[in-house]
Amino acid sequence: MKDKERGIRYVAPSLIVLTLVTVYPVLYVFYLSLHRKLLIFNISKFIALDNYLFLIRDERFWNALRNTAYFTGLSVALELLLGLGIAVLLNRSFRLKGASRAIVLIPWAIPTVVSARMWEMMFNTDFGVINYLLGVKINWLGSPFWAIHAAIFVDVWKTTPFVVILLTAGLQVIPRELYSAARIDGAGSWQMFRSVTLPLLLPVILVVLLFRTLDAFRVFDAVYVLTGGGPANSTETVSIYAYKVLFQTLQFGYGSALSLVVFFCTGSIGIFYIRLMTGRRT
Amino acid sequence: MRYLALLAVFVLIVVPNCSSEKSDSATRVRIVFKHGKISGDPEEFRLLLRHFERRNPGIAVRDETLPASTDEQHQFYVTNLEGGRADFDVFSMDVIWVPEFSRAGWLMDLSDMLPQEERLDFFPGPIRAVTFDNRIYAIPWYIDAGLLFYRKDILAKYGFKPPEKWDNLVSVSRALMSRDPGLYGFIWQGKQYEGLVCNALEFIWSNNGDIIDGDRLVINSGENIYALRFMRDLIYRYRVSPSLVTTATEEPCRHIFGKGKAVFMRNWPYAWNLFNAEDSPVKGKVGVTVLPSFKKGRSSSTLGGWQLGIYRHTKHPGEARKLIKFLISPESQKALSLAAGYNPVRKSLYRDRDLITKQPFLPGLFRVFMKARPRPVTPYYMMISQVLQPEFSAAITGIRSPAAALTSAQKQIGHILEAGHER
Repeated sequence: MKDKERGIRYVAPSLIVLTLVTVYPVLYVFYLSLHRKLLIFNISKFIALDNYLFLIRDERFWNALRNTAYFTGLSVALELLLGLGIAVLLNRSFRLKGASRAIVLIPWAIPTVVSARMWEMMFNTDFGVINYLLGVKINWLGSPFWAIHAAIFVDVWKTTPFVVILLTAGLQVIPRELYSAARIDGAGSWQMFRSVTLPLLLPVILVVLLFRTLDAFRVFDAVYVLTGGGPANSTETVSIYAYKVLFQTLQFGYGSALSLVVFFCTGSIGIFYIRLMTGRRT
Repeated sequence: MRYLALLAVFVLIVVPNCSSEKSDSATRVRIVFKHGKISGDPEEFRLLLRHFERRNPGIAVRDETLPASTDEQHQFYVTNLEGGRADFDVFSMDVIWVPEFSRAGWLMDLSDMLPQEERLDFFPGPIRAVTFDNRIYAIPWYIDAGLLFYRKDILAKYGFKPPEKWDNLVSVSRALMSRDPGLYGFIWQGKQYEGLVCNALEFIWSNNGDIIDGDRLVINSGENIYALRFMRDLIYRYRVSPSLVTTATEEPCRHIFGKGKAVFMRNWPYAWNLFNAEDSPVKGKVGVTVLPSFKKGRSSSTLGGWQLGIYRHTKHPGEARKLIKFLISPESQKALSLAAGYNPVRKSLYRDRDLITKQPFLPGLFRVFMKARPRPVTPYYMMISQVLQPEFSAAITGIRSPAAALTSAQKQIGHILEAGHER
């Protein structure tokens, strides 16, 4: 009992700080989301759940949610596959290993807004290097089909290095002896990958998925710079929509409701992954 | 008397030479002026402000530059003004923010600064844009408007005149493109962003269409549908505009035209100086004129440009007014035109000999600025634009028919206005 009391006293400061910096803002956003708050008209009226009822009927919101889900699913899957491949390759010993690892990191090191601008130019139909190299005249950012995939491509290009770093770290803690033992038992490299690497890497893979899914679900900067949500909202994610509602049209109530939906989605994703991780351990 | 003389000497000789820290004595009132990035050499603008301080020894101006992006500036002002404790006195505003900021009660009524006879010297468009509920809440600072850039040399070579009607622009473009297949006909800004609204309104207005007529929403009118269908047809039917216009903003257009790859371009006046720079491939080959119109309509340009306003709760309204008065004086307007390429809001300056010899294209812009129309002057504008942007984008890329897109926009904007009246 005494120990428990002392324990509570030890964690109290961090609990208080966490409450102040995370719980309070979330509660405030929730409070705002129950109001019709239009800054320019000095309106702030309690409307209970009206914002959420409007949200259910808001076609633009559902479109944004669909875009976000598609973006998240595809980009995270590609990043994991590519990242795993590159990490396994980089984990072998070869000359210039250090240099290669450093080079892989470059896309991650460039600020997103800068790289998005860069890609915007490279995707240009007229003078973009991509059409030049492929010898085609595709309007990458101007057609709904290509625009969302171009955005996913940029995200994969940018964050695969992050996945590679985490997975490389995971690969390095796998004991060498396991591979030697497997080899003595006559395992081929695919078998070794499946039966040794993959199971031991799984906890790290789950962490990667957790980070990447949360990040991708909140995606804003890369897509905003690349397309601004267009053409015709075909690349508008929930975060971009919330930003426009909050800061461009100043509807703080409805914008808060949108933000809270993003918060609940990412929260559920986080809980899902963490359950998966702890479930494995016990 | 001797003291006064001494003070005068001090002000004239010592103050301008002092470092700014020393001259910020307690007796001077300090006002803060926030604005976007000043084009050209920022030092010239500093000099202008120092000149103001010399003339008004009791006032020190501290100017602070905000990020270049208009959206970020809007966000900055909103978050700071909303708190009710903004730390600036004078600030510059995009033309579309004025009704919104005035409705929110963030701006001081400046109607007395522009008496009737003074107002007559200003272009009509900006005056309409800063007038809300019959009061003036901001003073126009410099003006911008959409215009048609064309290749003088190519048109002359094949004996064409700059087109006055849209179908004329199509036929001239097609004729020239068949002679030179590497050439684009007409480029404009069609990415989903504020610039698309500016472009689309020019087509709509030049077909006698509009967004709001008095209190009535007239978005899905036959005129508007026709205008939007024409924009889409420019790309997919007449093929005089490359499909890249559906992702283009001002700068990519300027680059393409500047490399000599297009005959016609819709853009803002800033491009002119860049086309006539020493190393420009199109130097001396570019002409500007008003945008074409449809058969029944009249040529129209979307008004751009920036306005100066005063924070409602400033502690120094008198000093702030003096600064604005100075910045819109003919001499400051002239200085800014020369230093930063900001086009004066005063009509009389377009007849100013001295200025015209240095900026010979100004008289040509006069006609464009007289036709400049503000986007709907309503505090709801930002919300309306957020609906128009994706719908216009859908119409010009062919995702939805122009009629469907405009009907959807009419419905959505109707809801916004209703919700506003409901209170």
